[in-house]
Amino acid sequence: MSMIDLAFIIQRPPYKSESSTLGLTHAISYQVVDMFLDEGQGVVPKVCFIGEGVLNCLSGQKAMEHYGVTSIEAHIKNALLVDLDIFVCKEDLERFSIGEDRLVDAEDMGADKKLQVVPLSQIQSIINNCKHLFVF
Amino acid sequence: MRLGIFISDYKGLTDTVDRLSAEKLGFIFVQNGVYHTTVKENGKSSSLLDRNANFYVLEEDLAMRGLTGADVDSRVKVVNYGDVVDLIFNDYEKLVWL
Repeated sequence: MSMIDLAFIIQRPPYKSESSTLGLTHAISYQVVDMFLDEGQGVVPKVCFIGEGVLNCLSGQKAMEHYGVTSIEAHIKNALLVDLDIFVCKEDLERFSIGEDRLVDAEDMGADKKLQVVPLSQIQSIINNCKHLFVF
Repeated sequence: MRLGIFISDYKGLTDTVDRLSAEKLGFIFVQNGVYHTTVKENGKSSSLLDRNANFYVLEEDLAMRGLTGADVDSRVKVVNYGDVVDLIFNDYEKLVWL
C-alpha cells in the first residue's frame, strides 16, 4: 500500500484566530480522505506544535463554559482518539516554562495515543520527510 | 489623562505601547494578551509588566486557555467581565485596543 505522509505544523497560539482549530480539523479529516484516493493509497498525517503553538496544548481549557465554543483541547483529544500522532516541541515547552504535566491527555476518553514531547530536530525530520506540508 | 490599554495579542505590540504615556496608565490583558501575565519566556516576564501602571487580566480568557489565577504574575489583578466594565466607565477616560 502506498502511503503519503502529511505534516500539519501549528505555530499560532489558540483562539485569537481559527488557525489552530483548522490545523487540527484538517488533520482529523484524514479519516475520510481515502474515498478520494486510488485503491492502495493512503495518507499518514502527523501534527506538530511548535513556537507559540505549544500554548494550544494546555489542559483544562474552559472555552465551552465561557464562550460556547469547542476548545482546542477537545479537538486535540479527538485527534488522539482517532490515533493521530501529535508532537509537541520540547524546546518551546521549556521556553514557555510549561511542564509536561500541564499538557492535554485523552486517557479519560480511552485514547491509546498521547501527546509526544520531542526535540525540534525530530519535528524537522518530520517536515523533511513529508510529501505535503501544511502550516497553520 | 487616564489611559486604559487593552492588550489582545501576545506579540508585536510593544513598539506601539512604548509610545503611549499618560498620568495614569492601565493595562487590561484580554484574549491572547493574557499570556503576558502568565508566560515567563526563557524565565523572563513580559516587559510590559515593568511599566509603571496598573495591570488587570480577564479571568474568562485565562480559563479559556487552561490558565488560572495561580499562573498569573503577582503584579497583575485578575478581574471578570463586570470588573472590566467598571474599569471602562469609572477608571479611564480614554481606551485603546491593541
